Amino acid sequence: MISLTNYLSRNFVLIVAGLLLFGGCGGSKESARREFHPRETKFPIAVFPIENLTGTAAPLEEVRKSLILQLNAGGFQVLEEEVLARFMARNRVRFIGGIDSETAQALKKETGAEGVLITSLELYSEANPPKIGLTSRLVSTGENPSILWIDGVGLAGDDSPGFLGLGLVEDPKDLLKRAIESITGGLGKYLSAGEEREDIKKARRKFQPKSFYRSEVIVPEKKYTIAIIPFFNRSDRKYAGEIMTLHFVKEMKKFSEFEIIELGVVRKQLLTLRVVMEEGISIAQTEALLSTLFADLVLTGRVMDYQDYQGTYGTPKVDFSAQLIERKSRMVIWSSISYNRGDDGVFFFDRGRVNTAYAMTSQMIQSIGEKLLKGKKSEKPLSP
Amino acid sequence: MDLEKKGGGIMIGKEISIRIIIAGFLIPIFLAACATTTDTYRDEKMDFGSIQTIAVMPFMSLTRDNVAADRVRDVFMNNLLSTEAAYVIPVGEVARGVSRAEIGNPAAPSPEEVIKLAGLIKVQAVITGAVREYGEVRSGAASANVISLSVQMFETQTGKVVWSASSTKGGISVWDRLFGGGGQPMDKVTEKAVNDLINKLLK
Repeated sequence: MISLTNYLSRNFVLIVAGLLLFGGCGGSKESARREFHPRETKFPIAVFPIENLTGTAAPLEEVRKSLILQLNAGGFQVLEEEVLARFMARNRVRFIGGIDSETAQALKKETGAEGVLITSLELYSEANPPKIGLTSRLVSTGENPSILWIDGVGLAGDDSPGFLGLGLVEDPKDLLKRAIESITGGLGKYLSAGEEREDIKKARRKFQPKSFYRSEVIVPEKKYTIAIIPFFNRSDRKYAGEIMTLHFVKEMKKFSEFEIIELGVVRKQLLTLRVVMEEGISIAQTEALLSTLFADLVLTGRVMDYQDYQGTYGTPKVDFSAQLIERKSRMVIWSSISYNRGDDGVFFFDRGRVNTAYAMTSQMIQSIGEKLLKGKKSEKPLSP
Repeated sequence: MDLEKKGGGIMIGKEISIRIIIAGFLIPIFLAACATTTDTYRDEKMDFGSIQTIAVMPFMSLTRDNVAADRVRDVFMNNLLSTEAAYVIPVGEVARGVSRAEIGNPAAPSPEEVIKLAGLIKVQAVITGAVREYGEVRSGAASANVISLSVQMFETQTGKVVWSASSTKGGISVWDRLFGGGGQPMDKVTEKAVNDLINKLLK
């Protein structure tokens, strides 16, 4: 016979175990790892030095070496270090966050590289739990450099703590390895199968823009070529404007309806046209830029807040606005305000919590892309 | 009997005086509730329906936060545009107009400057604003975010102010005082104040 106290204590144990299990499930699934299968590929790649957008000192050389090592292990043909260094010195390549037409043409001609891998390190924190944010894109060389593939990863050591914290990653090197494996895995998949876009999961509802304007001029079925210009940084985070631009490139590229112009090409054109933007791009500048780039839309905006946190306690915060200006109508066809915190909508056991601004921004921008193509009219609750 | 009557009279007299005192407190309260105060000016002669394009000038910040004005202006522009009541021209175009019209203080342009600017960027109305308070306020152990802003609209043919309003949102509520909590995030408070102003404009 089971006594009442025994029955209650058994239930208590079951409840506690249940709570622990649920607690272990908390955290984002951003850290999903991709398998990297070594393969033969005859696509010589030049790996540019890593662009440091962390705003602090970061082991860039270590990250680059790990990336090249992983690519070599995968059977990729990576351009020799000395050859690339000589090319960069000869052509005075200083900007490593993108590639313009002349440099891309020279790179192909002088080294035979078919593509260039441009990698930006957005976040690197060794404080426990470690955090990393890395974005890589493969740009074709030759006359018209275009973004062939882009992917990125934002990881925190406590993204998936698992049962009794067994899933915690405490070693920054381990986290870096995971990030690089994820990136090279995606690149390998693209190069072997030519898969440019994966089936993307819909962004979570809480990351939708808080208010937006969408013009009826936008045709969801039409393919748009977009020039993304650097966002204005009004936050305390160094390089937040460049980071946001990069996120927009990454997320918009996921949609087959958008063709994104390589950032280096846009930058070069802005310099050629001597575009000085005090507060934002004017209509005349937009017209000049888009006509030389043969693009339909220019995307710009402002970053008001972009915060990551160090260590265990804290929450990332992101706040930005985005605008799309169309060349033909010379009008703003999209305008939105987005802001979120990593703990938005989190009530129990950190379930649904996002630990990096990187992962959160990705979702927020993906949501903008979805709204843009959905064909829905403007949305703003007017009751204060 | 007399005593009883006397006592009764005293009781009635006391009751009446208590009622008068209570009424004396309550009536002013009720009357105060009936009073209408407005922080909105609206030119009755102005045809607001004729405004198709609006330029929102950089807001003036009277707070210690350097980016408060930029933040609020961004939210105001976006939310006004999303009502689809009028088209709001992009900030870059406004900056170009300000530069070409040689406006010294874009946050507070003169009527002549408004007319000149409107001719350059082709707008029917120009909106200016001032952020009076933005950030956290403290009272004892309680703290909360607060925003206070005022906005005015110029008609561009004469450079006259046709609409003006202000809004204050957030702050420490009774709940915050009793139970703490820190109030709402700054973004939400800003959006509330901006929506309040837009409601007043579109009313």
